[in-house]
Formats: sequence, C-alpha cells, structure tokens
Amino acid sequence: MSKQHISSYFISLILFLLLGTSIQAQNDSIISTANDSIKIKLKYGLRVGTDAGKLIRSFIDDDYSGFEVNADFRIKKTLYIAGELGIEEKTTINDYLDVTTSGAYLKAGIDYNLYKNWLDMDNMIYTGFRVGASAFSQDINSLTVYNTDQYWESQYSSNEVQTFNDLTAFWIELIVGMKVELFNNLYLGLNLQLRGLVSEVEPTNFENIFIPGFHKTFDSSAIGVGYGYTISYLIPLYKKDKN
Amino acid sequence: MKHYHTLAILFGIITIFSMGCEPDDICPETTATTPSLIIRLYDISNQSSKKNVFGLKAQGIGNDNPLTNYNVVTTDSIVLPLKTDDISTAYSLHKEYSYDDNGTPDDPTDDIIGGNEDIITLNYTTEEVYVSRACGYKTIFKNVTLTINSDGDNWIQAKESISDNQSVEDEQAAHFKLFH
Repeated sequence: MSKQHISSYFISLILFLLLGTSIQAQNDSIISTANDSIKIKLKYGLRVGTDAGKLIRSFIDDDYSGFEVNADFRIKKTLYIAGELGIEEKTTINDYLDVTTSGAYLKAGIDYNLYKNWLDMDNMIYTGFRVGASAFSQDINSLTVYNTDQYWESQYSSNEVQTFNDLTAFWIELIVGMKVELFNNLYLGLNLQLRGLVSEVEPTNFENIFIPGFHKTFDSSAIGVGYGYTISYLIPLYKKDKN
Repeated sequence: MKHYHTLAILFGIITIFSMGCEPDDICPETTATTPSLIIRLYDISNQSSKKNVFGLKAQGIGNDNPLTNYNVVTTDSIVLPLKTDDISTAYSLHKEYSYDDNGTPDDPTDDIIGGNEDIITLNYTTEEVYVSRACGYKTIFKNVTLTINSDGDNWIQAKESISDNQSVEDEQAAHFKLFH
C-alpha cells in the first residue's frame, strides 16, 4: 500500500518538474516577440465540462458508472473558482466481499494558472485545491467468512443484501493539471488529484470501501489519488485587457 | 505546440499510473480472523497441572480426514476449528489410537482399532464481525458449550470452561479445560 503512495508522490513530483521546465522554455520565446503595443483581450466566462475519463470507464468497466459536471469561473487573470459535481456507483468484489457503493459528491475550490500565455491564447497549467464532500450508501451484496483453517470446507456465506445508508465523507484535495484550448472555446484537460480524508461516517461492523468522488480508500492511510480527463466549453461572458 | 507534448506525456503517465494502481487485496496472515477453539488437557487427580494425552487422533464428525496436526500425536492442548456455517461441531478425540487392517487393506470390517474414542460436541451461536477490506468478515462464537458424549468408558472425565458464558473470539488463550 505505502509503496503505491510513494509512487504517486513521485509522479506528482515528476509532473511538477516536467511542467516547470516547459513553462521556462515557453517564457524565453515570449519575451522577445510579444512586446508590441496591440491591446490583448482575455476571455472571461463560465467554463462547463465533463470528465471524459469517467464516461469511458462507465462504458468499459461493468463494475463502475460515473458522471461528473465540472465548471470554473475566472475571477482574476490567473485565478479561477472551480468545482465538480458528480455521481458514482462502484461494485467492489473479492473472494469474501461483494459491495456496491453509490452516491453523489461535490467539490469546490480554487485553480491557479501557472502558465504564461502568449498573446490571447488561453491555456492553463494549473495547481489548486478543493474541499470535497460526499453522501452515499453501501450495499453488501454477499459475503463469505474468512477462515485460515479450511478443515471444514464450507464457510458461512450470506447472499442477503445489507444496506448502509446516510454515509458521508469530507476531504481536501490538491490538484495539478492542464487545460488546452483545442478549438475556439473548447478545452481539453487532464489533472491529477491527491486527496486526504478529513472525516467520514462509517457503517457499524463495516467500513467505507469506496467513497464517490474520493474513490478507493486504503486501510493503511487516509490518502487517496485520482485523475480526470476533462472536456469543457467556455461560455464567454466578457473580455478584459490582458494587463 | 510544446504543450501538446506535455499533454501527451502527462496522458501517458496517468494511464500507466492508473493501470498500475490495483492494490494487493490480500488478507495478511498476521491478521486475526475466524478463531479456533482451544482446549487444554489437565490431570484429573491434580487439577492444576497439565497432562499429556498419548497417541491422540482428532477427527471432525462428518469429516473424512483427521485434523492434520492431530493425527496420532502426544499433546496437552488441542486446537479445533468450528464450523462457521453451523451452530454445532462434533469431534472424535481418540486416545492411544492404533490401527491394524488385519492383513486385508480392502476389507474394513475386520480392522482392529485400538484405544479409547470419546466424542465431544460443541454448541454455539455465531456472529460475523468485520475485519478489513481484504479479509472481509470473520465469525466469532458465543455461548459455547462443550458436551462429552457419554459412552460408558470415557477417558475424558471432566470439563470446565474458562469463563461463564464462554465465547470464542480470539486465539489468545484456552477456552476449555478437559480433565483426564
């Protein structure tokens, strides 16, 4: 488990380094050319999109379905208010448990654009944070008792569905990602999320195996990871001078 | 155009990273799961001292195989797995077990089985307790009673539970004493 966390920290680190160097490289080329006196206008508006990764996974993974609407709104040149609203259902199966989790989540926070755009280009390499909350339920579809001693071959098992309702969880999330304007007002993005669980309501004699919006929980720590591929469309509301 | 490269690299990294992300859902051996019943054997004439039984063979009633660890051994403690899908488990505890097929291995009718066999029955209620994602649930046993089936020639002469209303929730200590 912890090995996995270490590897995800490493990936975040590598990403930062990668992104960092490319920002530097771009900066060098900008300064020499962009110094003329034409006024450059920047688009401000509401950008609305969906997580294509969740849609694709819903198609290819029988045990998962999810849908997310995400949005951001530019409040300053480099600052955006951002949020996600989604639903997820996931069935987790191993030899001893078959559990379905379903519920909704809401995340809200800030994105900060680190990328210096050339002229009126509108791309982002950003970092930000979210506060996340989820309300969900879990069903144990079936269970088989774990016994290291297999002298008696059959172990107790139950196919009676047990439902645990009114479960909630709160977490904070660090996010790094990028959004690129592919066509006019259409953006493609991807991001990585590192989450820390703050609190959760757990069922009695069970635990939260999956939390919508937070994803898989780990026994050893309160850290979670995730990623998103986003497609979004900017509804331009007004323009402002670049400087 | 440079950011398309970065985008591609990032895409690749995320894909690899998400594929390599299936965690090992294996229940560690060190985790305490469904406990077995532990019996200690004591001397009937000196009830505070443990006493070995010789040539013990333990076999579950209804099971074709003897317990692997108790196939004719000398011991002063017996660990018996209880059925998790039933509320009763019976064991044959066969002391000084010997077996002679009388020269005809295919004919069990003339086999000579030596020693003294006693049968004990354990009755209980079960309860499922959550352990972890990988281990799922374990069964613990409550209100466990031990009965020595009387056969007129019992080598087990008395029994005693360690506590009133005996339960079997872990394997930290013995649950029953048998005197012989």
